[in-house]
Amino acid sequence: MNIVDYLIVIAFLGTIFFIGSIFYKWVGTSDDFYLAGRNLTPFILAAVLAATNINLYSFIGQSGIAYKYGIPIIWQTWTGNMAMVFSGLFVIPIFRRLRIRTIPEFLEVRYSKGVRTLVAIIWVFRLAFWLGVILYTAVTAAQIITGVHSFTVLVLILSIVVIIYTMLGGMWSVALTDVIQFILMLSGALILLPIAMSFVGWWPGLVAKLPSNSLTLVQQTGKYSWKFVLAIFLLGIEWACVDQGLLQRAFGAENTKTVAKGLVLAAIITTPFALLWNLPGLAARIIFPHLANADQAVPLLLSHFIPNIILGIIVVGLFSSQLSATSGNLNGIATVFTSDIYENVLNRKATDKDVILVARIITVLAGIVMIVFAYAVPVLGGAVNAYLTVIAIMDMPLFIIAVVYGLLWKRANWKGAIVGYLSGAVAGVIGQYFYKLDFNLTTFISAGAALIITPIVSLMTKNEQSEKLSTIWKAKQISDEEKASNVVYHIIPKSAMGKFSLVIFFSGLVIFLIGIVMGSEGLQLASVISVVGMLMYFAGGLMKAFTN
Amino acid sequence: FDWRTWGIWLIGFIILVTWIIVPVREFKNLLKKRKKDLTK
Repeated sequence: MNIVDYLIVIAFLGTIFFIGSIFYKWVGTSDDFYLAGRNLTPFILAAVLAATNINLYSFIGQSGIAYKYGIPIIWQTWTGNMAMVFSGLFVIPIFRRLRIRTIPEFLEVRYSKGVRTLVAIIWVFRLAFWLGVILYTAVTAAQIITGVHSFTVLVLILSIVVIIYTMLGGMWSVALTDVIQFILMLSGALILLPIAMSFVGWWPGLVAKLPSNSLTLVQQTGKYSWKFVLAIFLLGIEWACVDQGLLQRAFGAENTKTVAKGLVLAAIITTPFALLWNLPGLAARIIFPHLANADQAVPLLLSHFIPNIILGIIVVGLFSSQLSATSGNLNGIATVFTSDIYENVLNRKATDKDVILVARIITVLAGIVMIVFAYAVPVLGGAVNAYLTVIAIMDMPLFIIAVVYGLLWKRANWKGAIVGYLSGAVAGVIGQYFYKLDFNLTTFISAGAALIITPIVSLMTKNEQSEKLSTIWKAKQISDEEKASNVVYHIIPKSAMGKFSLVIFFSGLVIFLIGIVMGSEGLQLASVISVVGMLMYFAGGLMKAFTN
Repeated sequence: FDWRTWGIWLIGFIILVTWIIVPVREFKNLLKKRKKDLTK
């Protein structure tokens, strides 16, 4: 990078800081800070969701795996998008009708205050630590791309500005800077793809020069085979239904229908864009065939082939992805702590002014913890992986108690939920560390344990059907809020067009799964059929979100 | 700069312009709504 590139990056940081900070005046109530006053509209929500879900390591890490193992890693993004469509159409609208702010809050409505506090404490720590890990990976990638070798300088660039504007404007700042950052990160990625592909002779060049199965989407064997696609799809469903970073944005939607539109639009828009960082990884395999560290694939492409000034624009795009992921999750930590722990346990008489002050303090503290963790990652080494693995294992039982039993079985009670949640986590840890099982298998074992133990404990203990329970079941129907505003969303469609969209949606899902099963037999058309199924699934989802 | 490059950039440009125009319009409506709420 030269002086012009640095000036472009500085101008970007200054602009984002200015735009983020002016929304300080928009924060009048705690709902403004947490959820932008529930005013987010479909396209703004879609951009915010896409920007939050993609961080700098999504570009670098996924292209690194594509470099090493070929194209199938793209399913990580694609199945995640499919899961977002599913949760946006069928699950999150129920949560939105309950007007909750966090998943722990739902757990109190459904089970008890104890379950809420337990999950909230776990979420505060996991989000802060995860932010530290993605900051560390972003800085190590940025060192190669920018030529700035000081770890501290890059940590400060990628954290100070974002901590300040997130602290000042809460979700308003997060949402409106995310829209700008979404545009910038996609512009940057759009520049790189044609340049990388033209160097290797576009698609025919990839086919001719890469190992034979690098471009097979659904593979019969290998680390990223059909089993990976199936497992990551199921894990994606769990993520899209309980991830605070994603759900909090959806809770900020102006109404239930906007939730469905926003999630479907975000999923569909990021599906083609996943090619923008996977294909350059494949091209790098041809250009730099013997990299010891695959994560260097895209950074090396940038430093070798991108002229100055253009490089500055791409770096702005990469930094945008990091800042938007950081701001969304900092706001998530502040919301979970303030709403679920401070307001609910520590100070029940807190005024709106108290709450906003505490949320701002927590945003700054979470930012400091993130920076400390970023420095700790290389020192902790394997402990980081262990921590992230345990956290990922604990998500599955949470999904089981919150969504599967929480929304579908009235008899589940708080004792069953806590015992099921913790026994699922313990079963997963035993499978992972004592039996050394594959990670995907471990997550399903933990889900299975929660799935079996929650009903057993619930049936052995007192039936506690409260008034609150009926509000959850009522939320499956259109709410008074929707009737009053005349913008209704039917989870099960009423119109002929809506019903037709559901047929397309589920046909697409079945065809996608048939494609994956064909992949297990090594059949030639497996990849094509699974992609056709995915596209039908998206088309059905889009129709359903925009019809009734 | 062959046709494939321009093709990718054209599709990307259309999507990006959509994602600029529509959110700006939505934001303007938000401002109007906010103004109305504040004057109440």
